[in-house]
Amino acid sequence: MSFIDLITENVIKVPLQSTSKPAVLRELVQILKDAGKIDDFDAALQAIVEREDKQSTGLEKGIAVPHGKTASVKSLVTAIGISKDGIDFNAIDGNPTKLFFLLIAPPNMPGPHVEALAEIAKLSRSPVFCDALVNTRNAKEVVELLKEE
Amino acid sequence: MNSPIKKIMVYVDGTEQSITAAQFAICLARYSDAELVAYYIINTKALDELLKASIFLKDEQIEYEHDLEEDAKRYLNYVQELARAKNTLITTKSSTGSVYQEIVNAVKEEGIDLLVIGELSRIRSRRDEFYDETERAMRSVPCSVLIVKDEDHVYELYESLR
Repeated sequence: MSFIDLITENVIKVPLQSTSKPAVLRELVQILKDAGKIDDFDAALQAIVEREDKQSTGLEKGIAVPHGKTASVKSLVTAIGISKDGIDFNAIDGNPTKLFFLLIAPPNMPGPHVEALAEIAKLSRSPVFCDALVNTRNAKEVVELLKEE
Repeated sequence: MNSPIKKIMVYVDGTEQSITAAQFAICLARYSDAELVAYYIINTKALDELLKASIFLKDEQIEYEHDLEEDAKRYLNYVQELARAKNTLITTKSSTGSVYQEIVNAVKEEGIDLLVIGELSRIRSRRDEFYDETERAMRSVPCSVLIVKDEDHVYELYESLR
């Protein structure tokens, strides 16, 4: 299971409605709940918030990668959200975050989890591509940018 | 004519696809009387990159490395049990580093003449970043590579092995 296999239109939201960090974390987890990818919303959110409490996963250039492990998912799941105006996510460069990659894995699946995070890390190193993602108008355009189908 | 396959390596990475690959490799080893090695690579290169990218904290990197070590033991033990159940000898090994580089090194060092891997993603990405390390290794190893597909068929093959 590659990260690209996890990306479908129903786990992408453009634009995100939230304007604060706690709200956007809830909104991203809700995407997964609505897509039927998680059973226990609270447990999934708690895993993500606990990780964020240690240190923000807001990186440079408007990208954040909130992630966590919880038994409330049976397999690796992802949600992608795009905020047009950006959200204060306590990013390391202090800039607003526009592009969110949420990743939740069960505790017994560290290999695919690390592999997927590494693919996101590689992707985040391309500012041109990240700009193109931020400028998409809907989930379909995000999928079209990522997949060749 | 002697079997063209003397030593098989199956790459196990903690996915269902790699377990299917292991089942097929056990069948192949039995039919061709080849040596069989199962290999798990703890992807410390990715862990280092995640720390560098500030996606991981230092204690998170250590925690995930420990998780991967445990995963390696769990999956290699499981594959060993699969082989034992079919009276097939298997050697299990693990190493740390870059998945791509370690697979290529192991194939050369072990004198492998067939690498068996699980099914790769059927979806093509427009982005090179999504080509995983196994796919890169598949293109670079000096031996033949077999990509195992059709989990149900492989399971039947494996189960029918006496």
